[in-house]
Amino acid sequence: MATVWRSQCAFARFFVGKTGRILNNAADLGIKLTPESISVSTTRSYSNYSHSPLVKKIKEQYDFEIEKNPPEWAYVERLLPLETIPPVQPKETYPSGWIPPKEEAKDLPYFMPRTKNHELPIYLIITHKGQRKVSMLRKLEGDIWLMNDLIKEHLQTNFNRYIETRVHELGRFIEVKGDFVNSLREWAYSKGF
Amino acid sequence: MSFSLINAIRKLNISTVSQIRLISSGSTEVSSINSHSNSDLNVSQKEWKFPPQFTKPREVWIENLDSIDEKKLGLFELHPLVYAVLPRIDIIHRNVIWQRKFRWVSWAHTKTRAEVNGGGRKPWPQKGLGRARHGSIRSPLWRGGGIVHGPRSGKTHFFMLPFHLRIHGLTSTLSAKFAQDDLHVVRNLELPTEDPEYLAELIEKRNWGPSVLIVDDNDYAPRNITVATENLPHVNIIPFYGLNVYSMLKHDTLIITQTAAERIEEKILQHLHSNTMPQQAKFKLNQV
Repeated sequence: MATVWRSQCAFARFFVGKTGRILNNAADLGIKLTPESISVSTTRSYSNYSHSPLVKKIKEQYDFEIEKNPPEWAYVERLLPLETIPPVQPKETYPSGWIPPKEEAKDLPYFMPRTKNHELPIYLIITHKGQRKVSMLRKLEGDIWLMNDLIKEHLQTNFNRYIETRVHELGRFIEVKGDFVNSLREWAYSKGF
Repeated sequence: MSFSLINAIRKLNISTVSQIRLISSGSTEVSSINSHSNSDLNVSQKEWKFPPQFTKPREVWIENLDSIDEKKLGLFELHPLVYAVLPRIDIIHRNVIWQRKFRWVSWAHTKTRAEVNGGGRKPWPQKGLGRARHGSIRSPLWRGGGIVHGPRSGKTHFFMLPFHLRIHGLTSTLSAKFAQDDLHVVRNLELPTEDPEYLAELIEKRNWGPSVLIVDDNDYAPRNITVATENLPHVNIIPFYGLNVYSMLKHDTLIITQTAAERIEEKILQHLHSNTMPQQAKFKLNQV
């Protein structure tokens, strides 16, 4: 309800007829202008318009009805932000090059679930001003040691040298010494993770 | 897998009707099985919003508080991302330290040289006496003088642990409690009497550990259990939103109602699968 300050006409008491009871500045909103309702004191001067006795607080009342789930609500809902990250819509190919995870990957004894944003949990950690690069495979489940052996084999065949890894069973991650993120991602996609 | 589980249930001879939810990857089969006793075991699929992908969901018995002897009313599935996480003790520690520190206000107070009584006048003239030069008798060098960098009253130690660490702390403690058989799921909190002795005997009989934390779905609990827990200082009842790492560690056993377990799961899974940046932005320090 809107609250509107209206000043009453100081000389309203002189108006007798109906035309005289209509206010000059706006339409009447149900306030009856009677000579008794006006009290003008000429002794004090008020600096604040809204606190002067000439001004009365008027509450405007509008008619409204409550409707639960009207058909227009769909237009409001689509503007509201999502509560959780939605699943990806299935397609044949994605123009961004995103590869969806496969169901067959769950049959393996080890597993690498996607992150909440449907990405592979393989990260590159750079420290010591770029001198130290470590590729980390996080969120691993199942047989970590077997996965470690497979990763080592894969990297050995690709890069023709022994590559050091670190397995952390409690933290469920494997750190590979060096920047092999792309190679590891290819390996993960080949497994269907 | 489901068949062997149903056989195991039959052998246990469950007397009351139960709603058993079993896992079956992808399929929506619903089968009704006739058991030895009169009850029919309803096998239905539990619908997960974020179904477990690799690790199997944990199964837990639904127990009762009606009698002192425990009766198994059914089976209940728990999501592995909440109840089967490898517990990170360091994160649990950080949560406990945070919970202890962030509300604490240190009221230790010392006076500086300006606040100590006296010491406005120069004790002796600068030169001529052969003594050391001093400006006031309350400088920090003097005995009885003010303390320079002492504690100042009303020092707050408020800080916020990152949101994902708090979630990880909750999941770690819940998983640890579950793995150590300290977690029990209960159908409802209806006791036959309001006598605290009954509850104490029940806890004693079932080997539930000296202190028990009961987690309910909402703020309102049946009268009997509220009266019983009020007179037992080591048994406490909290709503599900009051669940925290410190309380879970303080109490030996954790009793959760079925609906509360579902709600906790739902909330934690929602947080694990949503963007938490806007929520964290409030507490992010400006210049770190």
